[in-house]
Amino acid sequence: MPKVSMLAEKVRLISVPSDKFKTGIISVSMALPLDERAAANALMLFLLKRSCKEYPDFSMLNGKLDELYGASVSAGIFKKGDAQVLTMNISSLDDRFALTDESIAEQSAELLAGMIFKPNCKSGSFGAENLALEKRLLIQQVEEEFNNKRTYSFNKCIGHMCQNEPFGRGKYGTVEEINAVKMADVYAAWKNMLSSAVFQITVVGSVQTEKVEKIFTSYFKKIDRTPENLETKFILKGGRFNRFEERQPVNQGKLVIGMRAGMSGSRDNIHAVTVMNDIFGRGTYSKLFTNVREKLSLAYYCNSRLISDKGIVAVEAGIDTDKEKKVTAEVLTQLTDLRNGKTEPEILEASKLSLKERHTFSTPEEIAAWYGSQIAEEEIFTPEQEVEGIEAVTMEQVCEAAKKLTIDTIFMLAAQPEEDAENED
Amino acid sequence: MKIKQFTNEKLGESVFCAVHPSGLEIRVLPKEDYDSAYAIFGVKYGSIDTAVKNDKGEFEGIPEGTAHFLEHKLFESEDLNAFERFAKTGASANAYTSFEKTAYLFKGSSKIDESLEILLDFVQNPFFTQQTVEKEQGIIGQEIRMYQDSPSWQVMFNLLRALYSVHPVRIDIAGTQDSIAKIDADLLYRLYNNFYNPANMVLCVVGGVDPQEIFDIVDRCIKSSEGKKCERKFEKESPLPVQGYVEERLSVAEKQFMLGFKEDISEPLLSLEDEIATSVMIDALTGRSSALFKRLIDEGLVDMGFGGELFNGFGYSCVMFGGTSKDPEKTAEIIKEEIKNAQTNGIDKAAFERSKRKAYGRFVMNYNDIDDTANLLMDMGFNGYEPFAELDACRNLTLEKVQERLAVLKEESAALSVISPIG
Repeated sequence: MPKVSMLAEKVRLISVPSDKFKTGIISVSMALPLDERAAANALMLFLLKRSCKEYPDFSMLNGKLDELYGASVSAGIFKKGDAQVLTMNISSLDDRFALTDESIAEQSAELLAGMIFKPNCKSGSFGAENLALEKRLLIQQVEEEFNNKRTYSFNKCIGHMCQNEPFGRGKYGTVEEINAVKMADVYAAWKNMLSSAVFQITVVGSVQTEKVEKIFTSYFKKIDRTPENLETKFILKGGRFNRFEERQPVNQGKLVIGMRAGMSGSRDNIHAVTVMNDIFGRGTYSKLFTNVREKLSLAYYCNSRLISDKGIVAVEAGIDTDKEKKVTAEVLTQLTDLRNGKTEPEILEASKLSLKERHTFSTPEEIAAWYGSQIAEEEIFTPEQEVEGIEAVTMEQVCEAAKKLTIDTIFMLAAQPEEDAENED
Repeated sequence: MKIKQFTNEKLGESVFCAVHPSGLEIRVLPKEDYDSAYAIFGVKYGSIDTAVKNDKGEFEGIPEGTAHFLEHKLFESEDLNAFERFAKTGASANAYTSFEKTAYLFKGSSKIDESLEILLDFVQNPFFTQQTVEKEQGIIGQEIRMYQDSPSWQVMFNLLRALYSVHPVRIDIAGTQDSIAKIDADLLYRLYNNFYNPANMVLCVVGGVDPQEIFDIVDRCIKSSEGKKCERKFEKESPLPVQGYVEERLSVAEKQFMLGFKEDISEPLLSLEDEIATSVMIDALTGRSSALFKRLIDEGLVDMGFGGELFNGFGYSCVMFGGTSKDPEKTAEIIKEEIKNAQTNGIDKAAFERSKRKAYGRFVMNYNDIDDTANLLMDMGFNGYEPFAELDACRNLTLEKVQERLAVLKEESAALSVISPIG
């Protein structure tokens, strides 16, 4: 069992000590409601990642990381239901591999905490040039989502499906929102994060937890905390059936079918829903893989994705545009079979075994991500507890969970020859 | 089988190596405290193998994309396919084809012996029919289309085609719609028999396993055959690129680029020392703590995805720098300017030390993840290096050696590939 302690109100530290790895990771997750401040939060996070008071320049900071034997700091943002989660991680080599007598772990912990609590910021300003740069980089990142058509189509489907829910927002905000952010907004976002975000610090490896605890506690002591209550809206059923289409000059069409899973919370019937989604379209034994791909050779990929924090299941497929009806019909046939119990018992066993494997982690990053993803949960589940829950799922429960799936929104990115696309403008 | 143990004290790891009488090379790195194991069974047959030696000793051309096609087809058999068999052990199985190899792998934490037997068995037992080949043409056709829409994939292959005139590194790994249409069951059997023989293969297992048990399973499962290593033909390329600039328009938001410098090689393969020296040189010159990176960012020319890498294999070696940019040509000019600068004034010693430390740290980190470790062991095995050789080579790396590798970056050997938005 991991060691759990509270460093301040809604600041949870989870420690998973282990000396079997060559590296350790310290991961800090900070959750805030996903709203119009998303862009300011994102810019703030990337400014924190760029430099800090001690290393006030990007090259200096990265020079320090190189000296720490290629330690790496990563910052990322993901949506957790209707919350925006900002993360900052540092992965570094264990002290025993240092070529000289020094503690890489302690320096790494100090560095990461310094980046979060002691930014390169003077009288409320992170520097106009720095902000302008981060704006450019973030806008570029948002625009680049257009380049990966699979992700783009998935996000489009979710955007349409959840247009009246915070989850429908982009995790970085829109280009317009990013452009509109002022320095005061970024500074306020940083202050707000320290006082209001729900924090979780996850430490994995041979890093001494006490040292990390001490470093972070001393920073939190100086902060007046009034943490947020994070809530996510769950919609049980798809409403009126919606289909959206966009045409682009691409070679392959992308189909996304967004469904509501009938969940009323992120852990509502979670084990049955997880197994159901796995059999429907995740594993190589799944209905979508074996039928849409292997039997009908309609796609190279056709899978279903479960977003448990929002009670959504989405089917994705890369197909020839003129095969949309055929693929959709086959997906629905497979769903009907799943609902009616037309699944071999061996497939249920295969799914449980495979899910068990997926919860057997072999890197510090995987372990940290597992716990980090539970930031909004009151109770922490170990991978073993999760597996126990999965193993208890019956075929009847799988069918029941499948019966609760209702289609909400279909998004189709249709391939259109380049000449036609140009004639349209 | 004679088992040889290699130990690296500092790392706290040992690798057990053996060569099976059939010629199969086996490498096992046990990790006592790991639940999972990762096994990879690779064959030296990749997309660059576009010719096979016939009975007369002459090289004969084959369609593009056969290695990848075989990778897809080997999962099938007369009764249960490989996925269905792995479903019973819970292991997650996969495969990939690269320029120089095809690899089949699984990761699992229970019934590892059984999974290993399945892996060895399905790779040794091909089963193709005309019908299953045709079905796969549809699936791979979709895979090819998917990559045609990927700007990062296209920018690289366009660059390779601009740099190389004859070397098959210039062709797509999966081939083309036309080339895969030429593949039939007979051809697959013929190529399978040519390439898939144990002397042309390496097996690596990393994780919670007992080496002796692994060797026993191999003894039991490898069909004893007289193996032969497959030869590759080394054709010397012109030191100059085919064209200096290539551009394609795709449905993207902003321009993407890749600048490549082709190395004039007289031997088909770089030494391990040269590979590491080149990577450290690239990092010192263009890594995140470099002056060049800062300049490009400050001038608004690239984003955080900018980076450089050595790209090499049998008969090809080049250094590539790439990213997203509003002005790829200006970016390329600045990179070339910085290279010239370094060639005149030398690489900064502090930058070299930082990059070397970073490289060393990253090499150690390769032994963290059983997945990375197994792939590394396999690559080292294919190239005939002893385990851990990369750590020693990195530790002994000198600034002089790194400076020497700077000479590879010749202006006249460069080509720029650009992807720009439609409309």
